[in-house]
Amino acid sequence: MKPYLGLLRMSTRRILTYRLNSLILWIGGATFLAGSLAVWHALLSEGAIGGYDWDQMKAYLLVGWATASIGSAYGDWWMASRIFDGHVATDLTKPLDYQWARFSEHMGGLATEFIAITIAATAIVTFTGGLVVPGPGQALLFAVSFLLVAPLKFTIAYITTMACFWTQNFMGVSWAKDAIVTLFSGALIPLALLPAWLAGPAAVLPFASITATPAALYLGQATGWEALRLLAVQAAWVLVLWWGARLIWRRALRALTVHGG
Amino acid sequence: MSLVEARGLTKIFRRPEKDPGLRGSLKHLVQRRFKEFRAVDGIELSIEAGESVAYVGPNGAGKSTTIKLLTGILVPTAGTVRVAGAEPHTDRMVNARNIGVLFGQRTQLWWDLPVRESLALLRDMYDLSPAFYKQRLERLDEVLGLADLLPVVARKLSLGQRMRADLAAALLHQPKIVYLDEPTIGLDISVKDRVRQFLRELREDGTTLMLTTHDLGDIEDVCERIVIIDEGRKIFDGPLAQMKDRFARVRRMHLQLAEPTPAEKLAERLPDVEVIAGDSPTEVTVTFDRFTHTAGQIIAGVLDVVEVGELHLDEPAIEDVVRKVYAGELLR
Ligand SMILES: Nc1ncnc2c1ncn2[C@@H]1O[C@H](COP(=O)(O)OP(=O)(O)O)[C@@H](O)[C@H]1O
Ligand SMILES: [Mg+2]
Repeated sequence: MKPYLGLLRMSTRRILTYRLNSLILWIGGATFLAGSLAVWHALLSEGAIGGYDWDQMKAYLLVGWATASIGSAYGDWWMASRIFDGHVATDLTKPLDYQWARFSEHMGGLATEFIAITIAATAIVTFTGGLVVPGPGQALLFAVSFLLVAPLKFTIAYITTMACFWTQNFMGVSWAKDAIVTLFSGALIPLALLPAWLAGPAAVLPFASITATPAALYLGQATGWEALRLLAVQAAWVLVLWWGARLIWRRALRALTVHGG
Repeated sequence: MSLVEARGLTKIFRRPEKDPGLRGSLKHLVQRRFKEFRAVDGIELSIEAGESVAYVGPNGAGKSTTIKLLTGILVPTAGTVRVAGAEPHTDRMVNARNIGVLFGQRTQLWWDLPVRESLALLRDMYDLSPAFYKQRLERLDEVLGLADLLPVVARKLSLGQRMRADLAAALLHQPKIVYLDEPTIGLDISVKDRVRQFLRELREDGTTLMLTTHDLGDIEDVCERIVIIDEGRKIFDGPLAQMKDRFARVRRMHLQLAEPTPAEKLAERLPDVEVIAGDSPTEVTVTFDRFTHTAGQIIAGVLDVVEVGELHLDEPAIEDVVRKVYAGELLR
């Protein structure tokens, strides 16, 4: 446990050394959130769309933005670049489980991400006149599902990164992944608003567990058994992807070619 | 069983076969062709505990690939590896505790953080006690001058400093076996000397050492055994002294003569031998083939002509020897 906590701490410290870089990233992210709020404010001035009124949409957008922020400070690029530049070689000579080690580094961003999310929530409350908050029961369900977002997003990023072992290129794979996740998680627009041919795949893919599930729990759209079912699906995806990643990793190692010295 | 054992160790890489230019790249997209390339080809190697082995070969010979196979980073295409009884690429975690690895061309330090932080993380990784950690840092400070480097962010270290810090990182947990891949690459002479001195001490501590290099200066005084590979194949494996004996035919003797003597006069007395005048009229250098003449015969021949004051025999330079081995002149 200790070495993994050590990795997490080191990762946080590294992110903090790039404060300016992070700040610019967060300013970009905040701009996107403000833009979405403005667009939906205009769209909803005539009345609710797909069951979302302005107050609910505000909360939805905040949850969507928060779940998108989880894991973004560390950046999948770090993980991929270690494979390209050959540093994976030194990682492999350490007495650590490779997947847990990368997960720990990934979690190193949580501190800054939570700060950013808190700031965004405060800003919304201040400038748009309040925010819908769930009751204690729903809040607890939401908190659990929000925590599950971290390992879920990690495994998706980790599996994407392993594509590099075969493609020798990360940019394309990474963009494709980001686009798919954004669309099918509900981070772009609520899944209920998607046309049927997109809503179908969204329902069976793991990405809905990233945004749609926490949002449904936060807004009280899913309660009781339905809420527990959503959490179970989310947890099941974490386990399936975590162990699936292990299988892929074993095959990826055979394909690994470390370039240079 | 030896500490490190490789049997028929082979690694084949697939290289994309692309025609040049954009056309070639596009063609490769639809019709992928690969050429197989044997980077390591049937290497047999046994290393006993406490041995120090120099693994030598020209660029691209397969040295780094061998190290990556022995350390469990790469999976062999064929053949087997055992290190302290474990198979490195399957028992990666077990193996990792036995070994220390340095890749001279890349660092394991956290680039954006002070060296001290990277070492503290390694302390946690290898579960070192605070007392042991402190003692190791002191020892590494003695031989590597580590203390000055601890507070410095790794990115700001010079190449030589970085190599010293990286050596410390590789050796912090006092591994049984140490693999060093080009530990002096790019270093200037004074830093090189310091690293070599450190390697000698490491050997005296009883650490098993495998060192790859294409700088043969790294080897003398550090390794008693040399393995030479070329194009993935082993072409010599034996004691350094034996290699010199077997392959170094040409020897050079410098003589200080009692009175000025022309080189030609000595050459007359010593046929088949090259005699060259030195900087002063009383100095000559005699170059002879060890297989046809002994040093004694040369001295006797010179003494027939003139008294000898001082004499000095050059050690055969391993550079020359290995160069010939590379050139294929001295295949067994
Ligand atoms: N990942 C790889 N893919 C294809 N060829 C490789 C790869 N890594 C090394 N090689 C090739 O294998 C040969 C041996 O490389 P290497 O072991 O790094 O040599 P050395 O360390 O002796 O200079 C070289 O010709 C190199 O180009
Ligand atoms: Mg090399």
